[in-house]
Amino acid sequence: MATTPTEDEGDEEDEGLAGRADWTLAYALAAAVGVVSILALATAPVAALLGESRYAIPSALHGVAASVYLIVGTVSAYLAWLIYSGRLAAYRDLRVLAALNAFFSLVTILLGNWIYAYYRESGGPRAYFLEANPAVHEIFFEFKEFVALFTLPLSAAAAFILWTRRRGLAGERELREGVAAMLLLAWAFLMLAFGLGAAITKLRSV
Amino acid sequence: MAGGRAAREPNGSAVAAALAAGSGLLVLGVVVVACELSPAVEGLVSRVGEASVPGAERLGAYAGKQVVFLVGWLAAWLALHLALRGRDLRARRWMGLAFAMVLAALVLVWPPVWHLLKP
Repeated sequence: MATTPTEDEGDEEDEGLAGRADWTLAYALAAAVGVVSILALATAPVAALLGESRYAIPSALHGVAASVYLIVGTVSAYLAWLIYSGRLAAYRDLRVLAALNAFFSLVTILLGNWIYAYYRESGGPRAYFLEANPAVHEIFFEFKEFVALFTLPLSAAAAFILWTRRRGLAGERELREGVAAMLLLAWAFLMLAFGLGAAITKLRSV
Repeated sequence: MAGGRAAREPNGSAVAAALAAGSGLLVLGVVVVACELSPAVEGLVSRVGEASVPGAERLGAYAGKQVVFLVGWLAAWLALHLALRGRDLRARRWMGLAFAMVLAALVLVWPPVWHLLKP
């Protein structure tokens, strides 16, 4: 008898093909980032890349967290598109990645707060921009600091929905589209904040 | 039709999560604009930040804005979750409202809008 496959049934099929029921792309990504980090730390003068600023460590941590979040967010955005268009086999990967999205959003925001204190210090980048190019602070930085916050509730809500729908989203087209839209929006806000952050750092780092 | 809806897992808690995200971000947008328009509000928000975030004095009013946003978002989520769980709603309509709130919040945190609103 012909039936409409659910996400779980789709996953069962994938499990049979891959033989790795619990694997998701997130684990592969984490392993890749870990291996590259260990190799870099063990074999390259990574400290030379941090610069001589006394704020080198917090700014590097913020940059690394944002970069990892960018990878996770971009993969999630693609999977969200698959879910949106009804290709439900990506459901399990997306569930894990959506949770990682929320986690890295929170970590990046917290580290951003740490570095923001240095940004505001007397003689710091904020003072420089206000004197040399006020628009960079008053428009772009102000917008960046708020738009970065948009990623947290959107990715947390998407992760909550993906983890709490016990029967998945196979028969829930409206919810499925809503979750996909939340993740795609979160990714767009991440790209905005990341791009503006990179540009501002290029103009004047802490 | 009604049977199909009854057999489905209620979507109220999912809708609540989306609405709470939109509400929290709208709170953020409103508090950002309020701080720009009123030094008194900005002072109050700064004090909220200093009372609840270690080292907040180094972040200015930003810490307070974050606290108001987080409290607004999580309180809305809790209230909406308790109110809507177990209910089956028209997801497209309510999620559309959530996205409209996100869009409104995005407009409110765009700095040129503050300058337009200043007397």
